[in-house]
Amino acid sequence: MIPQNILYIAIILIILYLAGITFAYWFFLRSKRNIEMKESEVKHRMYELAILKEIADRTGYSLNIQKILDVIAGSLNQFLEYDVAAYMLLNPDKIIFKSDLQHSVSPQFIKEVRGRMLKSLAAILGRDLTNVSVEETITGALMLEATDEPVRSYFNIPLVIGDQLVGVLTIAHRKEGFYKEEEMSILYKIVSQASQAVTKLEETVKTEQRKTAAMIESMIEGVVMTDRDYRILAANAAARNAIGYEGTELPTIFDFITGLNGAFDIKEKLEESIKLDKPLTFKNVMLRGKYYEVLISPVKSDVGVIKNQILGGVVVLHDITHEKEAEKMRDDFTSMIVHELRSPLGNIKKIGEMMKSTKVLENKQMSSEYVAMLSESSSSMLTLLNDLLDAAKISAGKFTVEKKESNLKELLLGRVKFFDTTARDGKIELSLSFEASAPTTASFDPVRIIQVVNNLLTNALNFTPPGGKVAVECFLHKKGSTIDQEATKLQLPWIASREDSSTGMLDDCLVIAVTDSGEGIAPENFGKLFNKFTQFVGAARENKHKGTGLGLVIAKGIVEAHGGTIRVGSIVGKGTTVYVTINL
Amino acid sequence: MNKKILIIDDDKIFSKIMKDGLIAGSQGKYDVFVAFDGVEGFEIATREKPDLVMLDVLMPKLNGLEFLQKMRAEEWGKDIPVIMETQLSDLEKMSEGIALGVRGYIIKSDYSIEAILRQVGDVLK
Repeated sequence: MIPQNILYIAIILIILYLAGITFAYWFFLRSKRNIEMKESEVKHRMYELAILKEIADRTGYSLNIQKILDVIAGSLNQFLEYDVAAYMLLNPDKIIFKSDLQHSVSPQFIKEVRGRMLKSLAAILGRDLTNVSVEETITGALMLEATDEPVRSYFNIPLVIGDQLVGVLTIAHRKEGFYKEEEMSILYKIVSQASQAVTKLEETVKTEQRKTAAMIESMIEGVVMTDRDYRILAANAAARNAIGYEGTELPTIFDFITGLNGAFDIKEKLEESIKLDKPLTFKNVMLRGKYYEVLISPVKSDVGVIKNQILGGVVVLHDITHEKEAEKMRDDFTSMIVHELRSPLGNIKKIGEMMKSTKVLENKQMSSEYVAMLSESSSSMLTLLNDLLDAAKISAGKFTVEKKESNLKELLLGRVKFFDTTARDGKIELSLSFEASAPTTASFDPVRIIQVVNNLLTNALNFTPPGGKVAVECFLHKKGSTIDQEATKLQLPWIASREDSSTGMLDDCLVIAVTDSGEGIAPENFGKLFNKFTQFVGAARENKHKGTGLGLVIAKGIVEAHGGTIRVGSIVGKGTTVYVTINL
Repeated sequence: MNKKILIIDDDKIFSKIMKDGLIAGSQGKYDVFVAFDGVEGFEIATREKPDLVMLDVLMPKLNGLEFLQKMRAEEWGKDIPVIMETQLSDLEKMSEGIALGVRGYIIKSDYSIEAILRQVGDVLK
């Protein structure tokens, strides 16, 4: 007989055991369910991620929202059952409506989907869309005889890029209660991820565009960019200036056509460049008094599936006015050299003809006249050639001087004496003042310094009217005071140079100056004084005074080869001072 | 009566040769006057009313074309035949000269004295 208490214990133990098993089983079931749920959740997430990734891969770095929506709509059937997946996109002038039919539905069904989408768009936008044209595309089977069932399940996902509503994506089914939270949320995620990607990409692109725009805007070259339809996408300041466009808005292709004023058919050339798919260059396009070299090139994409596709064109306006001017100056220079050489050479030839055919040689006076003319013609050619050679050496930096201790005072006295007759013929008072404090000798190339003084004196005498004065001045410059101050202190006739204030910095040196009371030099001609091209051509054109016009250019070269400087001060109607410095 | 020819050219050597050449070549039938710039040329032209003017293009004070315009504006100067002296480089100026009734031109450094004399003779015929 089993004692009763043992039985109780046994029963309790059995109950406990059963309870334990039950609990364990319950616990097991619960855990299993949890794990299953988690597993399914993970699977779901993995699936979501897979779809998101696939969509991301397929859309790439596209900014084309329609293309992205096509990809999304095309992937929906992988995880969602529907009859119609459709999207609407707002364009400035129309609405694009595209629907993908998974099962055949009736036209009425599509019409209903379309109506609902338009209505929700209008509601979100707060705008009446009844008169906006809708461009409709349907893929899939539309069956006229399909059962005329209405839309029973339906949900909308607004498409927002940045803060702007750009459209709506809609899923519709004939059956009722078809879509639960889950489906909606996954689609919502997909769409919002795509929107975010586009938004970010747009921001990046905009930032880059702003950088590029700032760069283009500041370029010296005129730059115009167009799309394939020749709509202007960018036109920088230089390009706007080139066509004289003053508006604040971006100019249109028509502004360019008007602005170019027949000088250049921008649209035709762009078409040509895009059609031939190669860059075209047009030289010497004259626009509002300037010369341009115009380069037109197609712009191609270099990324993604549209690689090598032509996106538009770019027009670069390169201002070549300076080059043209320099070219013209060189041409003028060359033709002037030829001209200047031909004249004396032609004369030498004619002198020969005269001597041969007429009685020049029998007449003693005529013979000596003709011989003198021969000598003058040949020496003027020689002077010209020597000047040209000097000027060429100077600009090539190959000009050298032979310095030796020489007597400057004697040199200047000799020059004044040499020009005395010319001065007297021109009724000009020529004087020399050599300051007592200045050393009479210095180290320089006497032949070359004579050339400089000759040039300064020739110029001064040529440009001084009868009754005027030409003064040759020589004094010592001390560092610390300006040459202008020193000349004033010595009470010399003097026209200050505009750049004279810097001469205080110059080390002690000798100053040789020639001051005339002549016509003076107009300020606008100051810059041309030392330009060999303009000087030479000017002198030849004017033919006013003998010489090649290269004198000052060469004088500057000689003085600078000595380590000195040459300066000009002039007042129209009052006179001119040209001085050179010679280092001690 | 001798024909009067006025040479206006700042190239003194060329003018001298042409003067001598014209006188010698015509056996003294031409009276030749020389001026070295347009202003002086205009003074002589006004005084002498020449039968022919030989005119340089590039000259100080009054250049060849300016002289021509000025002379054509005068009653006496309307029909005076003019031969322009040029260098090859100013041939483009010729069209302006032709518009002002220039009868011919010589290229200074290329033409021989003989050729110039022939041209002068043709114009004066």
